[in-house]
Amino acid sequence: MKARRAEAVAAYAFLTPFLALLAVFFVYAAGRAAYLSFTDYDLFSWPPNFVGFGNYSDLLQDTVFLTALRNTVLFSLVVTATQTAGALVMASVLNSKIRGISFFRASYYIPAIASSVVITLIFMWLFQRRGTVNFILGQVAAHLPHILLLVVLAALLQGAQVAWERARGLPAGWFDPALLVVSLLMALAGTVLADFLGLIRAAAAANVDISWFQTSRAVPDGFPFWLQAPLPLVTIMMMNVFTTIPTFMLMYLAALQDVPRSQYEAASLDGANPFQQLRWITVPAVQPVTFLVVTLSLIGTLKVFDQVAILGDAAPFRSRVTLAYYVYDRMFPGGQAPEVGFAAASAMFLALLTLLVVLLQRRFLRAEGA
Amino acid sequence: MAAITGNRPENERAPAPAELVRWHARRRWARAGLVYTVMLAFAVLFLGPLLLAFVSSLRVDPLSYPPTLNPPQLWPRNWVAAANLGAAGADDAWFGGFAPGASVSFEVTYLVADGNEFESPEATIPRRRPAGLGATRRIVYAADHASLSAPVLVESRPADPEAGDAGSAGTLLTYRLEVRYPNDGPTVAKLPLDVTAVAGMRYESSTLSASRLERRGRVASFDNIVPGALGYVFHNYRRVFDEVRAPGSEERLFLLWFRNTFVFAFWRIVVTLAIASLAGYALARLRFAGKELIFVLVLFAQMIPDQLLFISNYLVLRDGIWGLSRLWGQATLLNSMTGLVFVTALNAAGVFIMKQFFETIPREVEEAAMIDGASQWGRFWRVVLPMGRPALGALTILTFQGAWNDFFWPLIVLTSPETQKTLPVGLLSFRNTYGGAVGDWGLILSGAVLSAVPVIVLFVVFQRYFLEGVAVGGTKG
Repeated sequence: MKARRAEAVAAYAFLTPFLALLAVFFVYAAGRAAYLSFTDYDLFSWPPNFVGFGNYSDLLQDTVFLTALRNTVLFSLVVTATQTAGALVMASVLNSKIRGISFFRASYYIPAIASSVVITLIFMWLFQRRGTVNFILGQVAAHLPHILLLVVLAALLQGAQVAWERARGLPAGWFDPALLVVSLLMALAGTVLADFLGLIRAAAAANVDISWFQTSRAVPDGFPFWLQAPLPLVTIMMMNVFTTIPTFMLMYLAALQDVPRSQYEAASLDGANPFQQLRWITVPAVQPVTFLVVTLSLIGTLKVFDQVAILGDAAPFRSRVTLAYYVYDRMFPGGQAPEVGFAAASAMFLALLTLLVVLLQRRFLRAEGA
Repeated sequence: MAAITGNRPENERAPAPAELVRWHARRRWARAGLVYTVMLAFAVLFLGPLLLAFVSSLRVDPLSYPPTLNPPQLWPRNWVAAANLGAAGADDAWFGGFAPGASVSFEVTYLVADGNEFESPEATIPRRRPAGLGATRRIVYAADHASLSAPVLVESRPADPEAGDAGSAGTLLTYRLEVRYPNDGPTVAKLPLDVTAVAGMRYESSTLSASRLERRGRVASFDNIVPGALGYVFHNYRRVFDEVRAPGSEERLFLLWFRNTFVFAFWRIVVTLAIASLAGYALARLRFAGKELIFVLVLFAQMIPDQLLFISNYLVLRDGIWGLSRLWGQATLLNSMTGLVFVTALNAAGVFIMKQFFETIPREVEEAAMIDGASQWGRFWRVVLPMGRPALGALTILTFQGAWNDFFWPLIVLTSPETQKTLPVGLLSFRNTYGGAVGDWGLILSGAVLSAVPVIVLFVVFQRYFLEGVAVGGTKG
């Protein structure tokens, strides 16, 4: 009994520094934010007046807040869907035991380890009006005939070859790799030849002049307010996918190592194409990872802040504001008086949204019986 | 699985077994080839933007059109020329300069179409003042010390498109000019030059490629004709250090930011290792009431967004943790490194990692020490902690990365002066100062690339720790 007491005392002694920080910077902080969300505190006059649910009802009337809410939810859903699906597809393409994969794995991870500031600055530069992205879009538009011809030729050649092999009694699938290599090379040669003979010609490089940041345009055009993403936000989405997809891809890749290769080989002998294999073997096998990836992604994207802050006055406020940035902006609104109560109320909103995601995840996990 | 059977091609005329084996082997090779191609494509996708940003950061103006992966700064011809000019200017082939006694000779070649008039171009040494954060600094101008000779025609030959001379038929005229530093004086870092020709003459080439061409190629403008090899290639990187100075003290802001970020990372690592190993050990090994509650809080603390917590934490720091900081003479912890370390010291993910690791160490190890009569502290300090070295190493690296890249807390805590900031918020000042409508993207990109170097080096050296962290379950800070 005495030994037990001594152990508990030692435990609390070991935990003291952590608990002190946890108490001040987490428990107290969360409680105080909840309290302040019911007041009209302005950083200076203490004690503040109690306003009940006033801040919350005002928030729901504030179009800027509603825009921030819309931006955040759209951002979170679009980015999560894109990077989960993208990471899974990339991982299953790369899932093979070949030499040199560790080098490639490492190189994919570089965007994830650089800071958000570095990546955002580089993207801001890429997306300038006379920047690289617009330049590449212009080149693609100019070479559209080439691209179309390449795709059509490759498809025709592949179809012809597969039909021929099957006629010879060989079990070739529609995406047979050996035939695909030949089809692609021949299609490439054909396209180069067509260009050389003057059958197709690059248009004069179109001057693509999309203003990615200084715009209040939202896409897709003509959609209702709740489904439209402002263009600057779309660039932040691309940025986020770019930096996070490698991490998730590596998580999927680790999970795929445990799926027996024989399953794919059997399916392939049965004539299943790569898409059917993905749908019926890969997706069910990596479901637990998908769960983790979706949750991490939702929690991470709901609090997107850095990129919005760094973009700063390069984009109109409403075209980039998210919930996290809205909180910051109410707290330090530049020239005006801080509205801490407002900030706290919107922060509570953000925290509740995050908790909701976590609770849903718990719910699903329990339903899965895991 | 039933859905995918049944479309196997049925054929009575089955191929010979040996042929079938060869057929399958071919498929395996082709698949490997395709996978490598796709991997290469992904590598281009993920590293391409970063590589392009690095190459463009070497250009005089990274926004100049069209984008290229082969700017003049990467041409060996220019490296040699820059080194020779640097040696002529200040006996320094690497970093160049313009020192007393120097005599620099420089050639510019123009193309004159047949039938067009031509005359000697005019050369001037302009006074260029850097804009932005460094604008208040006193600058020594090369123009005050240099004596410039008028350009002399030294060579005239017909243009030969076959031999690589661009454009239509005409005459190539090469002019040479001399810049000397006759009197005594300070060594000047830069010797800019503008050479203006009459209409009808088109700039073709020069000893060192022109920084920019204006007025349809009539004005060739050089930022520095005595750069030295490194000074030429890493022109913008040098500007990051030279031009961005603290108001008043003239200290190099970028170096200060680098130092501050290292200091921040150092303290954050020390604090995290100490707190997380103690707490992780207690949670993993010791029995006490309230353990479940603490563990739930640890999980919550990893999820709740900082934007909820910073409201109170900002106020706590402003008031110096209820006056506690007055004990060491700070009335407020805002705009101080101490405050930043305090507010980021709560690292629930770190505690979680250490707890998970300590749980993998067998209990028997400790029990042996217990029989020897070691105290609780002794068991932790002499037995368990030394075994935790791999986890402590991983935590050190992840904490360094987290601290180096941290943007939100430094943004809240370190608002002024500029000299206090860490790199990420410093880069934000860069972006606010130089990233406007016209924009000096050379400075911004160089700053961004430089600031990413330490984490990239760390990653290359300690790759294993990063990638294992991902495979285990993604503890992204």
